[in-house]
Amino acid sequence: MADIRVKNLHKEFGVGDDKVVALENVNMRVEGHVFVSIVGPSGCGKSTLLNILSGIETASSGDVTITQDAHDANPGYVFQAARLLPWRSVMDNLLFVQKERDDAARARCQHYLDMVQLGDKGDKYPGELSGGMQQRVGIARAFSIEPDVLFMDEPFSHLDAITARSLRRELHEMWKETKKTVLFVTHDVGEAVELSNRILVFAKGGKLEDDINIDLPYPRDGADEAVAVAKAHVLKKFEDLDLVAT
Amino acid sequence: MTTGVITPKTIIPKSGPLAQLLKASLTARLLMPVFVIFIWYVIYWTLDSRIFVPPHEVAQFMWAELTLNTLLKYGSVKSNVYEMFGITIFRLLTGFTVSMVLGTVIGLAMGLSKSVNAFFHDWVMAILAMPALVWGLFLGLVFGFGHQAPIYACILAGIPFVIVNVREGVRNTPRELFDMARAFGVPQQQITRNVLLPSLMPFFFAAVRYAFSIGWKGLVIAEVFGSASGMGWTIKFWYDAHRTQGVIGTGLFFVIFALVLEKVVFERFAKRAFKWRPQAGDIDVVEEQFLFDPTIEGAGEAEYVSEEGING
Repeated sequence: MADIRVKNLHKEFGVGDDKVVALENVNMRVEGHVFVSIVGPSGCGKSTLLNILSGIETASSGDVTITQDAHDANPGYVFQAARLLPWRSVMDNLLFVQKERDDAARARCQHYLDMVQLGDKGDKYPGELSGGMQQRVGIARAFSIEPDVLFMDEPFSHLDAITARSLRRELHEMWKETKKTVLFVTHDVGEAVELSNRILVFAKGGKLEDDINIDLPYPRDGADEAVAVAKAHVLKKFEDLDLVAT
Repeated sequence: MTTGVITPKTIIPKSGPLAQLLKASLTARLLMPVFVIFIWYVIYWTLDSRIFVPPHEVAQFMWAELTLNTLLKYGSVKSNVYEMFGITIFRLLTGFTVSMVLGTVIGLAMGLSKSVNAFFHDWVMAILAMPALVWGLFLGLVFGFGHQAPIYACILAGIPFVIVNVREGVRNTPRELFDMARAFGVPQQQITRNVLLPSLMPFFFAAVRYAFSIGWKGLVIAEVFGSASGMGWTIKFWYDAHRTQGVIGTGLFFVIFALVLEKVVFERFAKRAFKWRPQAGDIDVVEEQFLFDPTIEGAGEAEYVSEEGING
């Protein structure tokens, strides 16, 4: 079981007058097969938190441990833009992040490409695919390393509403099937309510302000009353915290 | 003030074989030399000059040179066009290789280190600003009429472009792809091979073309003024002999050589290296325009525009 522990995490950029606090004394714990969304206004440190968890950035102070059954966990990452190597084919993009590039890895990559419905696009270059397809490749790449935890940084924010909706459904199915621990950054409360068991609300200045459990059955549809009520509830919390982006 | 009715223009689609032939870019390419030769004849007939020779006389001259029926054998060094061409190509390849190797090393260092960039920056600009003619005369005086002066001139003309292009390539490496690779724990050697080198390729190609085309210009000038052999010297020989066809024809030999090299070598490599680009089909047209006109500002400086948004 994956276990993410964040203790007194602090992160600041710049020095002197230019100093900006991105995360302030964040404490949180996420464990098991859960889908946790991190929401908050722009500049609240959501992406910074994910970058620190995945090792792209280092913390100014505090502790982060990510374990899988008491061993170091293997994380996967889906970015805001697909971040594919434009000069490598779709299949090679997936192989690029594999530890071993043997037949088993190739079969695994093919499996996840099939899962995102791009099984026949392995030899295409990213430039030959649409934005939605590229993001699907990004998702398949993250799943293809069979990570213990999956970090996703606003993966659907660049896509049109219809594509984003169908990708959310695919992601939910994959999460259900693979039983991963997912940490999902978004500024879209509706998206967070539709996908997550739990929503962490961050305020400007990088403070973790609230931890909301969403205990609703899947699949969730934004038009369902219970989902709409839950969404209204989270938005109300936003207002109470004066977090609504101005 | 007048008022009127705007009638939409009717566009008649042209789709006959003749229309297609006229629209094809190959037709336009082939029409260009025909047009140039026509204008050449018009000027020749208008000027009625004994010095301004018509195209067919240049062609006759080139044929005579190729068949060794040449006045060049009566020159001070008693040679022929093959030998002179060989000497120049040897010098060009030597100078080109040195400017590529040295320019790449300096460009990489300048791209990676601010202090190395500060150290070299003004010198690169100074070498860039110095006319090739000055290098030719200066190096001829210093090194005499051997191989050295033309080779050094070739290096000095080409190397600043290699340095600047490689440096820009390093500066434009896609950071978000390095972050991605790091997040997935990809080993450094794989990152270098799959991220760094491919991202440098467009800049490296531009550097190769500059080192070749501008190096050649520096080389020929040095051969005219500071050498007793090579194509530059041959052009000077025909200039002294008042043979316009010799000056133009000798230059044309190299133009033909360069065009063949472009088609046979550069274009093939570029197609292979850049087949991932969505517009790969147009690449020869896009890249070709600056091969022999490096004065176009920014030409050849590859534009790698990341598709990445701001990762907030």
